[in-house]
Amino acid sequence: MEELQLKKSLLLLSLVALLGAGCSSTPLDGPGDPSAASNYYGTDAATAEALGLDELRGNTLLSQRSVFFDFNKYDIKPEYLDLIGAHAQYLNNHAPARMIIKGNADYRGSHEYNLSLGQKRSVAVKEALNALGVDDSQIETISYGEEYANQECQADACGQDRRADITYEVE
Amino acid sequence: MIHRIYSLFFGILLLFATPIYALEVIEILGGKASEIPIAIVPFEGLENIGGQKAHQIISSDLNRTGLFRPLNTRGISNSPSSDININYTKWSSMDAQFIVVGKVESENPISGNIKITWSLIDIFKEKTVVSMRYIGKKSQYRAIAHKVSDNVYEHLTGSKGVFHTKIAYVKKVNNKKYSLNVADFDGFNSRPILNTTQPIISPRWSPDGEKIAYVSFEKKKPVIYIQNLRTGKRTLLANFKGNNSAPAWSPDSRKLAIVLTYNQNSQIYTINADGSGIKQLMRSNAINTEPSWAPNGEDIYFSSNRGGSPQIYKVNINDDEISRVTYEGKYNLSPSISYDGKLLIFLTNDQGKFKVAIQNLISNQVLKISEGPADESPIFAPNGHLVLFTYKDYGKTTKIGTVSINGLKRLPINVGSSIIQEPTWGPITN
Repeated sequence: MEELQLKKSLLLLSLVALLGAGCSSTPLDGPGDPSAASNYYGTDAATAEALGLDELRGNTLLSQRSVFFDFNKYDIKPEYLDLIGAHAQYLNNHAPARMIIKGNADYRGSHEYNLSLGQKRSVAVKEALNALGVDDSQIETISYGEEYANQECQADACGQDRRADITYEVE
Repeated sequence: MIHRIYSLFFGILLLFATPIYALEVIEILGGKASEIPIAIVPFEGLENIGGQKAHQIISSDLNRTGLFRPLNTRGISNSPSSDININYTKWSSMDAQFIVVGKVESENPISGNIKITWSLIDIFKEKTVVSMRYIGKKSQYRAIAHKVSDNVYEHLTGSKGVFHTKIAYVKKVNNKKYSLNVADFDGFNSRPILNTTQPIISPRWSPDGEKIAYVSFEKKKPVIYIQNLRTGKRTLLANFKGNNSAPAWSPDSRKLAIVLTYNQNSQIYTINADGSGIKQLMRSNAINTEPSWAPNGEDIYFSSNRGGSPQIYKVNINDDEISRVTYEGKYNLSPSISYDGKLLIFLTNDQGKFKVAIQNLISNQVLKISEGPADESPIFAPNGHLVLFTYKDYGKTTKIGTVSINGLKRLPINVGSSIIQEPTWGPITN
């Protein structure tokens, strides 16, 4: 019963997210991108069950969401392949699920280059998922660059900021 | 080192239009000796207006450029306030090659307007270079003093001064509040033009002076806005799928180069300032970002890791022909081109220290002009003689400052104790 309540409220949440998305795309003065809004948020029929939320929340590899990288690098280290494999399987089993991968970089170097570097990292994770059969329509890649990074880290401590975070739209 | 400064500098000075004093400027080149000794004499009369003094403003302006060495004029008695009865021997013995004298008077007691009369005098030639008079409101006092600096600069170097221009920068407070601010080039008279709770990066002033394009994370991802400075109204230039960033104006202010990702890696596009006519510039599997439009309107400089590590390249927008520009160092970013297209500044990683470097695009000679260790965001002044950049104050808080292109003068711009980053420099206007 409690679980059902939870699922209901999650469904409600995703509906709110949908409405919010609809609003934010209207006041554009610029060209906009037709595929951005419609494709991406087109999960009307999705239910909490179809999205397998319990699976996502379980204490499995799916709860691990960060892939870390070396300085100025975006190749995926072997230790993250299991994590990526689990997420690929999840996406393949739940067609309505939508993933957003958010790339990050440490503060060293320029803001713009780091934005591109963070993007390369999110794309590297996406491509690893593609290789396991996940369709592009289930994934959006974005980057935050160094904008939310620790601006005072020293050497090794900056490694925490060189990462790509996996998030799901329903969350 | 001094030789390198000399030769790079010599090249730059030859590019100047023919000023009255071009010969003298070139003759005294070389290291510290290249700074022209000049005495800015305290102005007579009502010089102190609300704690501001014209001679201090002018002195500080000229000092920033690395081309002048303002002499200490404190305690000098019987100072002149006009070009009449100048004791040339006395000023010559103080090593002054030029002096600036003037007076500040009330022009109209009812309106409160002030009148500033001033002269630039050549001590060696024993003659007046220029005499002028400005009338304005008291609130325009700093602006008038900057105008005097501009005139002195132009007469002695042949290039326009930038002392009357504006800059913009991003202020970040507690990782929670971000604002885009506009200020005089020296940091005075700052005011916010945008307040938000999400990061703002890459502001770029349009060459016509009317607008600033910038990247905002307000929509939970980077999108590009253009804000009109007169009306304060802003429009969304680019909100395509993925990231939208790195706006760079074309010289005629009608187009921008921008960077989009569309679920892939960063690529450069051109777009009209009204948001129409989007067009991809070139394709590659590497990062292409940080476009900077050359003044010829045909070349776009950018950073790319297509050769492994990031370097500066340029692409011709008509035929997509690409050539590599930087070869010194393994990590070069953030290109900015001088107004005449002859100098490039960029960020270089010098054994773990990020410094500003300048490259003469004719000789390809490179000179590092800042010390690091965490400098960023170099951007040219509109006359190409100064560079605005960020550095970490005491190794911690990011601040803005200027460095002269000969590397001689690095000075902070004080706009408060918060994190100050991502600067841009407005054009010279009349």
